[in-house]
Amino acid sequence: MKLLLAEDEPDVQLIARLSLKRVGFEVVTVNNGLEVLERVGAESPDAILLDWMMPDMDGFETCMRLKADPATRDIPVIFLTAKVQESEVAKALALGAVGCIGKPFDALTLGQQVLTILGK
Amino acid sequence: MSLRGRIFAVIGLMVAAAFLQAGAVVWFQTLRNSSDKTMTRAGQRFDHQTRMNRVVVELENEQRSYLLTGLPAFRADFDRRWSEYVNLPTLLINLIDEEQDKKSLADVDRQLQQWYQMVTALMDRRDQLVDLPRVLRDQTAPPMRQILNGLDAHQRRDFALLNDQIRNASQLSFSNALFTLALPAIDIVVLLVLVAVLARILLDPLAAIAESARQISGGNFDVRLPPAKRDEIGALVGAFRDMSTAVQRRQRDLTDALSREREISQMYAELRINAEQESARLQATIATVPAALVILEAPSGRVVLQNAAADMLIGREPDDENDRQLYWESFHASYRDGRPCPVDQWGPRRALRGEVVVGQELIVKPQDGRTIPTLVSAAPLRNDLGVITGAVAAFQDITNLYEVDRLKSEFVSIVSHELRTPLTSIKGSLQLLRTDVPMPDPNHRILMDVALANTDRLVRIINDILDISKIEAGKLELNPRPYDVHELVTHSIESVGQIAKGSSVTLTPIVPPDIPKVNADPDRTIQAIVNLLSNALKYAPARSDVTLEVRPDPPGFVTFAITDLGRGIPADRLGQLFQKFQQIDGANTRKFRGTGLGLAITKALVEMQGGSVGVTSETGVGSTFWITIPIVKAS
Repeated sequence: MKLLLAEDEPDVQLIARLSLKRVGFEVVTVNNGLEVLERVGAESPDAILLDWMMPDMDGFETCMRLKADPATRDIPVIFLTAKVQESEVAKALALGAVGCIGKPFDALTLGQQVLTILGK
Repeated sequence: MSLRGRIFAVIGLMVAAAFLQAGAVVWFQTLRNSSDKTMTRAGQRFDHQTRMNRVVVELENEQRSYLLTGLPAFRADFDRRWSEYVNLPTLLINLIDEEQDKKSLADVDRQLQQWYQMVTALMDRRDQLVDLPRVLRDQTAPPMRQILNGLDAHQRRDFALLNDQIRNASQLSFSNALFTLALPAIDIVVLLVLVAVLARILLDPLAAIAESARQISGGNFDVRLPPAKRDEIGALVGAFRDMSTAVQRRQRDLTDALSREREISQMYAELRINAEQESARLQATIATVPAALVILEAPSGRVVLQNAAADMLIGREPDDENDRQLYWESFHASYRDGRPCPVDQWGPRRALRGEVVVGQELIVKPQDGRTIPTLVSAAPLRNDLGVITGAVAAFQDITNLYEVDRLKSEFVSIVSHELRTPLTSIKGSLQLLRTDVPMPDPNHRILMDVALANTDRLVRIINDILDISKIEAGKLELNPRPYDVHELVTHSIESVGQIAKGSSVTLTPIVPPDIPKVNADPDRTIQAIVNLLSNALKYAPARSDVTLEVRPDPPGFVTFAITDLGRGIPADRLGQLFQKFQQIDGANTRKFRGTGLGLAITKALVEMQGGSVGVTSETGVGSTFWITIPIVKAS
């Protein structure tokens, strides 16, 4: 399975990538929402992990755009966010995301959490 | 004696004097009449006496003449004289009052009768007589001399009597004159005396009273009144004294009232000055305080005063009386969460109903369309009877506070994000290293565990700080919904399973099977229970029991009670437990270090859901912390 991971922090990006790889994901990393939109067509990921707060384009807007585009609308989106407040989660789900994983995430179980959310 | 009695007495005296005078006049008249009669009788007596003397002398002359001459004419004269004499002694005796005189005159008369018998006998036998001169000398002359002597003596006595009588009469006449002159004088004197007496008993007291009345009307009440006798004047004096006392009392009352009134008006003036100063101070204060102040009138709620800050904040009150109510009612206000606040829930309105409102947070939208977050405080104004006469309301513009609050939230949010990001990297790296890299030296593994545990603690601290800042900002949102208690208990115990295992403490849930569902935000309720369980595990001695007992009470609630057998909490610390940053010092902290925020967060989470928290503890025995969560109301 191919995941597109958008995370502006290189360290977090690295750890997330290592965590996801442990359960067998192929991980493509980008640094912000704009890059997600640029790469999503070419990469055709099975799911997209979006950090909520990113420079240039944040996860919120990126998700809105992905869901607005018929080509990318059906790709499941999971948020990685420090904002684990219910209102934020509800907002994310309302945008069409399938789930939220709070930060700091558990490096040992991140891949399993994603699989659980995706129902695999 | 009454005055009437005295006047009657005086008049009686006058009448008596008049009667006395009349009596005296009558008596004097009588006296004078008797005197006159006496004098008349004396005159008659004198006449008769003289006539009798003359007749006796003439009888003696006639007898002598006849006896000497024998002429019949002498004899006729003698007889005529005798007839003239015969009645005289009787007449005379009738005019004599003294018995002695009567007797002596009767003696003379008897001698004369004898003489007459002898003389007439001599005369009848004159022819037979010889030596007539001798007869005359020896027979007729001596008795005649005796008779004349008797007459003479009688006359002398009578003269003496007459003299007395004349003297008496003349004295009486003098008395008469005196009496006639003196009586009017006495009358005048008596009248004067009586008038003086009348004046004394009648006019003097009246004059004194009149003088007193003048003095009293002049304001001098220290007057001397005549002594109050038991009469009409006394009654008048008494009445006057009463009147004077009453007038004086009234005057005094009036004076007192006037001075009181002066005092009162002075006090009033002072009070008014004070009140004006107070009012001016208040006006100045109201005008200059930065808070918007509005003073309302009860019960209408009409604005009676508002300061410049209020003008700026909520707009100027309209001048038109009728519009004021509308103006006030036309305000739109809402709570912070956006719910509209009904007009009657406004702080000022609540104050008008007697409530003291402190810090009601309202977002006010005046008619000009602005949105102003305000902190409304209001208090009723009462008069001294405790009746609400109005209310004072202060609106504090808290736009800046909102801004500060927003900045703080933003700051906390950013900081927590910025902290979490490196923490995420650290934690992830440590986890991956600890799991994926073989570490033959056990010390290395212990160091890795220490690093991981402290990373977790840092994460918890950040989470707690975020929670408490959200709670304090009122931004913590809860989504209560009907939730199964068994599930809550299961999730809670799962969350602390690792810790329990680590401290070898048995965690025993006691949940009745028929426990009703609660109306709770599951995540936040689990968080609250977990906080308490964590604490219990932290303080529980090794291999002891911690129980989580669930009870369907009090009515309408479910209680979750967590009991440990730790060393307990001193009674004087119990009250502070639920405040921020409270920990029992040095209590087993190496096992599980807390942030000191757990109980405060628990309390807030539970209370926001309508429940309550509490603790009972006994030193050396253990503690029981409990929370209550409302059950789902049967609708």
